[in-house]
Amino acid sequence: MISWVTVPAGSYQVGATELIDNPRRNVAVRAFEISKYEVTNQQFYAFVQATGYVTDAEHSRNGRVFEPGLKEFRWISDKTANWHFPNGHSRGGIQGKMNHPVTRISFRDAEAFCRWAGVRLPTLDEWEVAARGGTDGRYFCDPSELRQYANIWGGRDHLKPDKSDPFLTTAPVGTFRPNPIGLYDMYGNVFEFCSGRLRSDTRDTQRHSRGGSWWCSKNSCCFFNSVDVGTVNIHASFSNQGFRVARDIKKPAE
Amino acid sequence: MKHATIAVICLLGTTLATGQDDMAKAGKASEAYRAHRELITKPSFGLAKVEALIKKYKLRDKEEGPLPAAEYKKLSSKEKFSYHMIYGEVSSQNCDAMPTFVDEEKHIYAYPPGAFQDERGWSDAQMAEIKRNRNAFLPLLQQTILKGKIGCNLKQAILELEAFELIPTMCEVYKRKRYDHDILSVMMILMKEGKFKPFLESASYKKLYADEESSYQSFLVANKENQDLIMSRATAFYASKRK
Repeated sequence: MISWVTVPAGSYQVGATELIDNPRRNVAVRAFEISKYEVTNQQFYAFVQATGYVTDAEHSRNGRVFEPGLKEFRWISDKTANWHFPNGHSRGGIQGKMNHPVTRISFRDAEAFCRWAGVRLPTLDEWEVAARGGTDGRYFCDPSELRQYANIWGGRDHLKPDKSDPFLTTAPVGTFRPNPIGLYDMYGNVFEFCSGRLRSDTRDTQRHSRGGSWWCSKNSCCFFNSVDVGTVNIHASFSNQGFRVARDIKKPAE
Repeated sequence: MKHATIAVICLLGTTLATGQDDMAKAGKASEAYRAHRELITKPSFGLAKVEALIKKYKLRDKEEGPLPAAEYKKLSSKEKFSYHMIYGEVSSQNCDAMPTFVDEEKHIYAYPPGAFQDERGWSDAQMAEIKRNRNAFLPLLQQTILKGKIGCNLKQAILELEAFELIPTMCEVYKRKRYDHDILSVMMILMKEGKFKPFLESASYKKLYADEESSYQSFLVANKENQDLIMSRATAFYASKRK
């Protein structure tokens, strides 16, 4: 069961003056619906149960996982990491966390889920229009209040656990305050895959995700905002990477 | 009144058009600089052989994967260096990829880009191997650098090895064009990691690494004063380490 928020058709301001790949501009967007929450472990479980789907991480067994104590942007190898155990067997699984966002899934896995569910990923522009929720600028909220809206890393670095909130990694979807149009976790919790390409893309394997994650702090990877766009390999999966879904609004029959 | 309005609109139009031209021009310079920042430098040691092996095992077609151990063992030390410098065995984290900024070429950022810009990175085993071979790899790094370019892969190798020994070489290469400001970033990180007191007490350190708001996107203006100051401090750091 997916809860939806409708975004009306219109011309919307997106981008930022300092960003070459996402310059400030107006984009025309058709009306669409976007899921209120990130796709959860429960929803992904239903997909796997129905289809027997095997994720990229389960195929390749080449996970890079997080644990406190690592230097910035460092992840360690763990062959046991997959969506059941996002940071490997030894660091616990998703048992009791079925309402957390699914992670350790690749762009290809997210697309497979979408095909099964009859939905799609939001485009880069749609994601930003939805994240802004009618506001202008880098954040939809006062930056000083970000921690109320986003599950992000509160520590200066990742050398020790962040105890500034109860969530070392993901939080149950919808735990934090929603953006102005009622979407939860647009910033933080997990990076969210989007469809579409950037003009600087040079390889077929590049895909993009937005919104930052529980790993991101204001001093490292401060992507928990409306404008930055991350890049990831189409088959790569991480414990801070997830997605939400979108769908077109069918026109009423004339 | 009507004429005045038209005149104002025309003037506004000119201003807007000029602004867009300036933006486009600035954008091109920044894009070119970003492209330069993301180039890797391929060492010449057994390069053809190493590239042939990577191709033979279709390593780049896979999400991740090392060269078979038996093949790796057969490589000479120089060839192993080339292998690590041109190939990352694992997928890298997405938020590592910083967006391209307007005026990027005018900034000295806190950190250079990662070793590879094809969403790949060094595996744990590669990191360990690079560190284990420090003595053998340092002269190879120096020889490669002296050819004129320090790609993002070499910069990360310098950081992994905490290769303060290469500071004079880096200064020499930087002074040739004063274009690749990431070389200065590497020297600052070496000073930071080396806990070099004169740098830790500087305004640059505070702004880039220690301020409440400092982040991976923090930068200094790349004017000559800042460039010279960083090289001067790095040279002093080098001298202190040689004592």
